[in-house]
Amino acid sequence: MNATAGATARDYFSLFQLEPNFALDETALERAYHKLLTQFHPDLYAGKPQVEQRLAAQFCADINSGYRILSDEVSRAEYLLKQAGVDLAAAERAGVETAFLMTQISLRERLEELDQSDAVGRGSLTEEIHGHYTVSRDQFANGLATSAYPEAARHWQEMCYLSKLLSEPKLRVS
Amino acid sequence: MVLLQIAEPGAAPEVGTERQIGVGIDLGTTNSLIAHFDGADLNVLQDQAGQASLPSVVYYGEAQTLVGFDAEQYASVEPGNTIASAKRMLGRSRQEFENDPYIQLAGGEGLAFATDAGAKTPVEVSAAILSALKHRAEPHLSGPIVGAVITVPAYFDDAQRQATRQAAELAGIKVLRLLNEPTAAAVAYGLDEQAEESSLLAVYDLGGGTFDISLLRMRAGLFEVLATGGDSALGGDDFDRALAAHLLDALSVSEPTAVQRRVALALARDTKERLTDAASVSLDVGGLDAVSSEITVSRSTLETLLSPYIERTLAACRQTLADANVDAVDRVVLVGGSTRTPAVRQAVADCFGLDPLCNLDPDQVVAMGAARQADILVGNRQGDEALLLDVIPLSLGLETYGGLVERIVDRNSTIPIARAQEFTTARDGQTGLVVHVVQGERERVEDCRSLARFELTGIPPMVAGAARIEVTFQVDADGILEVAAVEQQTGARSEIVVRPAFGLDEVQITQMLKAGYEHASEDILARKLGEARVEAEALLEGLQAAMTVDGDLLSAEEAAALGSDMKNLEAVMAANQSDDIREATETLGKASEVFASRRMDRSIQKALQGVALSDLESEVAEENTP
Repeated sequence: MNATAGATARDYFSLFQLEPNFALDETALERAYHKLLTQFHPDLYAGKPQVEQRLAAQFCADINSGYRILSDEVSRAEYLLKQAGVDLAAAERAGVETAFLMTQISLRERLEELDQSDAVGRGSLTEEIHGHYTVSRDQFANGLATSAYPEAARHWQEMCYLSKLLSEPKLRVS
Repeated sequence: MVLLQIAEPGAAPEVGTERQIGVGIDLGTTNSLIAHFDGADLNVLQDQAGQASLPSVVYYGEAQTLVGFDAEQYASVEPGNTIASAKRMLGRSRQEFENDPYIQLAGGEGLAFATDAGAKTPVEVSAAILSALKHRAEPHLSGPIVGAVITVPAYFDDAQRQATRQAAELAGIKVLRLLNEPTAAAVAYGLDEQAEESSLLAVYDLGGGTFDISLLRMRAGLFEVLATGGDSALGGDDFDRALAAHLLDALSVSEPTAVQRRVALALARDTKERLTDAASVSLDVGGLDAVSSEITVSRSTLETLLSPYIERTLAACRQTLADANVDAVDRVVLVGGSTRTPAVRQAVADCFGLDPLCNLDPDQVVAMGAARQADILVGNRQGDEALLLDVIPLSLGLETYGGLVERIVDRNSTIPIARAQEFTTARDGQTGLVVHVVQGERERVEDCRSLARFELTGIPPMVAGAARIEVTFQVDADGILEVAAVEQQTGARSEIVVRPAFGLDEVQITQMLKAGYEHASEDILARKLGEARVEAEALLEGLQAAMTVDGDLLSAEEAAALGSDMKNLEAVMAANQSDDIREATETLGKASEVFASRRMDRSIQKALQGVALSDLESEVAEENTP
């Protein structure tokens, strides 16, 4: 018996019965996720044979991983690129365009200079980074849809940079 | 085809028609409780004197071991032999407690208390408490305890969870599930049953020695922990110590003896409780050998002493809300005896802008919720219970080159979860690799908790960076971790179930179990036979049911082979020898693995085909109609 063989190779979109697109119906994803969990959570197998418990736990781990990857835009983009056979390591070596690099550096500098108590400045900087992110995301989606993978991979890297910036503690203080 | 799991989710194979008994245990820092749900009422089980709480104190004297109130009486006479608050040392290292003036450590490398009965580890102390709870519960129950749900602070790391499991194992208790305390509290309030359209709940749990803040989301039959935070070394004990220090200070006792410390602590605890209702109290401090014999403490003095600790809890609350990107919650539940303190209630109400829920006894609410969950897990399931989803409290990762941590599983990931990551070698011709597993949020290895270290050998010699080593982390529903490393070309493999580095190892546990940890008067043989029979019957009945439903998954030869193993087990059972029954059960269990795995595959396939759940249920209903 080879319990894990299929697990790592499982296609997460078909796991949740979704079309393998970047645009995704989040409600449908969540509904499918919950439906699977309510059937396979290890708690439901407390009195079952060991082997079923183990398989349920592995399958459930897969469901959780899949949900985590698909529910976040950046990791979903990465997953789609991998599924399309794009060499992400090579894409990372190729890097992003100089213009984007300059934008990113200036945004980071402004973040560093931001006064902790300046709520207005924080709001407008957040909004601006978010604007850049939306542009990169749409370009990624476009690249993926037209099978222009090198472009898509570049815009995915931009999404990584920008979302990391957005999650900086300094911007998240309430 | 039929999904049996849907017809009877979680049901243990029926053994007779009696209700199976599962208990809920709150293994607390200061007090522990055991509760049972009998289908109608949630009962916190009391001792013969009518006490619900068992003080989490164990006395190890030369002649006897005592637990609870009996042990507490020795606290001021033989402080070194009287172990309290052992929970805060579960799964932790010796170094963390070497400077604690309240603890006398035994010699050696491990973390153990020096007592007249020898060195006692925190796991053994916890096992003694669990065992006492089990003995107290038995006269209240109509049959044997099948298993227990034991609660742990949501903030407990892997080592602490493992240590808790070991304690249960030592006490002869089967753990159905480790449940986070705040989740249990919410279950006790029945909040899981209120099928409102998605609501958010914060559970503020300030116990004797731990503080937890958890953020939960409830909706349509699911109960999720969104984020947890807190401090596993902060609680009412700190309140008592702050007040005790204040008392000793006020009385100019500059170098208190161990006995004076104990007396001051007891006085402090009493004073704190009296100040819940009174604005000021005067207390007799004669027992402290001080110059004055009476001292007055006002509530505002207490509040000033407590405010740094309360502020630390509120900071953790704000952090947890920020972690989950949440601004406000719909409800706040108070748990833990320390939430009786008026200053705490007020601070929580102000922080969340809500009046907290506190109508259930904050000391009992966790055990009550655990009892409800235990009842479900032993198979007394109605089918409409909410599913409790937990997250891991701290990120898990590996040490990489230069002492940095590569995170593999992020904190607050829903469990169970599996994550894999590829690593490579750093030197040319490197044939081995040390995998160092750590837990924590910091970037440097020395700032994280070390969980385990193991070695992968047999890597073929290659240039640096050419080997591909996949490391897989698998965390089960209890939050317990398994790590495997596989070299992709040769398939060389090494794996480990993470054990608490500072607890007991497997060999020690086996020895202790053999030495008969359980009370001598208990008839171990009879218990063993009973357990073996229950297990064998469960397997037989489960298999019979499965063969009726999914018999088509077996070839004629396979079915015949399985049938003969079943007949064999039935024959062995008639002879009443527990070892033989166990052996035959194991043989049958092994023989049925392939069948079980095919059935499981079938139900997964079924689920993936997108058949609506309701369709399956009606299918099951048809199938079950004679």
